[in-house]
Amino acid sequence: MREPGAHLKILAYVILILAAVFALYPIWFTFLASIRPGGRLFTLDLLGMFVPREVTWENFSTMLFVRPFPLWVRNSLFVAGLTTIACVTLATSGAFAFSRFKFVGRESGLILLLALQAFPGVLALVPIALILQRLGLYGSHWGLILAYTTGTLTFTTWNLKGYFDTIPIDLEEAAMIDGAGPVQSFVRIALPLARPALATTALFGFMSGWNEYVMAQVLLAGQAQKYTAPIALAQMANDLNVPWGQYAAGALLVSVPVVILFLWLQRYLEAGLTMGGVKG
Amino acid sequence: MGVTYRGWRKYLAVLAFLAPTLISLLVLSLFPIIYNVYISTTNRNTFHYQVYQMPEDDKAAFIEEHPVTGPFLWNVVCPVFSGFCCDPEQGGRFCVQEPFYENYVELFEDFFAPEALRALGTLLLIFAPLLGAYVTSNQVKKRYRPSPPPTWWHWFAGAGLVVGLWVLLGGSAAYDTLNNAGTFFIVMFRTILYVLACIPLFFILGLILALVLNSEFLVARSFWRLLIVIPWAVPSYISALIWQFFFRTEQGTINQLLNIVGLGGLRWLLEPTLAFLAVVIVNVWMTYPFFAVTIIGALQSIPYALYEAAEVDGATRWQQLFNVTLPLIRPAVLPAVVLSSITTFQMFNTVWLITEGGPARGAGKPGATEFVMIHAYKQVFQAQNDGLIGAFAVIVFVMLFAATLYSLRLTQITRGAYE
Repeated sequence: MREPGAHLKILAYVILILAAVFALYPIWFTFLASIRPGGRLFTLDLLGMFVPREVTWENFSTMLFVRPFPLWVRNSLFVAGLTTIACVTLATSGAFAFSRFKFVGRESGLILLLALQAFPGVLALVPIALILQRLGLYGSHWGLILAYTTGTLTFTTWNLKGYFDTIPIDLEEAAMIDGAGPVQSFVRIALPLARPALATTALFGFMSGWNEYVMAQVLLAGQAQKYTAPIALAQMANDLNVPWGQYAAGALLVSVPVVILFLWLQRYLEAGLTMGGVKG
Repeated sequence: MGVTYRGWRKYLAVLAFLAPTLISLLVLSLFPIIYNVYISTTNRNTFHYQVYQMPEDDKAAFIEEHPVTGPFLWNVVCPVFSGFCCDPEQGGRFCVQEPFYENYVELFEDFFAPEALRALGTLLLIFAPLLGAYVTSNQVKKRYRPSPPPTWWHWFAGAGLVVGLWVLLGGSAAYDTLNNAGTFFIVMFRTILYVLACIPLFFILGLILALVLNSEFLVARSFWRLLIVIPWAVPSYISALIWQFFFRTEQGTINQLLNIVGLGGLRWLLEPTLAFLAVVIVNVWMTYPFFAVTIIGALQSIPYALYEAAEVDGATRWQQLFNVTLPLIRPAVLPAVVLSSITTFQMFNTVWLITEGGPARGAGKPGATEFVMIHAYKQVFQAQNDGLIGAFAVIVFVMLFAATLYSLRLTQITRGAYE
């Protein structure tokens, strides 16, 4: 393409810098609040909203060593980790069936999967709690994992199916002629090629377990020992006298792993989001 | 067609691979919907809240009364759907109403209040010229292909007509009427407005960033790409809370900055319009990276040769954007639009943490940012108005279901690998 003119380049960088400030300032703000002494969220000194004036690491140490923060993180890791595994397994299995077999009801099944999402989720909270109670999973991490996994299935199955569709089936057919079964040839040939989409699926599974709090609040009500980090932080923010510095420190500690995961999987994300299966 | 399972073996394989998904969906997606349909037929509210417990003594009489279905009803249906087995004499319990669609009647009276319908009709009439402009400009484009005359004046005339009609037909009066119309109507209306405000912003910002991030000349391209996805990665309950601080009237960053240029003192979360704007801004902040990433992925699949060909034909950058880029990223963007329309329609977390559905507009009226999910949450967990809101949820579900089906036909993404 023609080399763009200088003014276009300048415009591009201006847009980028604005976008970067827009993207990063809230996180920088949180960081400033976490190192500001006195647990204040704001300072009326405008410059203090942008650069650190006094620095203390006390909030971080309180969160890590005084409050049961490590316990919350461990609970969250357990829930999010198992949600990830369940998500990848179930979505791969479902997407394989939807992508590699032609059967009556395939299209309606796919549509149903998406259409079920149209139900207002807040109103599903009570029936979900009810049925988990009957299954003996209410108030346990397993019930939560089950709920999160189901919640992400629509997006992940669709996305994976879209990606599988872009992998030419001829390769597997060649293996099948050589005597491998459909499943074996799929696992050996297509799955390794689908790495970006699998990574994207895993990321979504992890995020849904790591970030959710409304459902967790209902399903784990009153069991402080089992709280995941989001519930614990949300409750901290609801206190009458919120220690904002500590909240900010906790928020950063919880966000950083996800951000790192995102950055690490970034290149897969761009290739792995193919809801429609339209990659060239 | 390849070498693969056939006949019953195929169906067995399909069933085996879909079973985990099917079971979890049945239990945790379908059952809540069915349960909600059931609740929507009952009179469950603050005064009728408890589950009806069937007295054990009645068992023999009950089974005698329903000779065939008795044991099934008593053991399976009644424990879960007790409203069907109700004894209305017992106070405080909720039962299926007579007729069972009582809640729906109440809702539809609210939806179709005559003055609200009239106001809605007026507003639609006022904005009709824009639709006209869309249709006529498309016709002109089609007829004079490949080099149509400019059609911007259609839009210009359309916009002029809208302003004229607004004054002539009393647009603001109609808008006020709508604002004070029935609860459910206004909640739906605001939610749709919210979706309509957010989605184009997601797309436009995402597109601009994707185009910039995809350009060849950019120094440190991958570094910039990393920066941009960060808002997407931060847990939404944290970012929502942080944004809520930015919008505070006294100490909030936004007002402190606006103070410098003498525009301070905006009461972001207390004025209805500003609060609406605030929740739009936050949603955009959290979602546009998803669009940018999706669009970057789509951009990279466009063959470079197409741009070279367009260049040879003397197409300007704008023409390349509208005639090459946009049509080719459409298949990748449409599913993202459908999906984020649904999630925006059902936005709860973020808006709740920022405004709690407020600012209030008077007792008993939904607040200015009380969208469908927030309204439902308040009605269920605060007002205990389960029956009526259950019916509302069913109607919302049916509408969204229909919209999803329609948009899926548009995107044609259900085709499989063999087609």
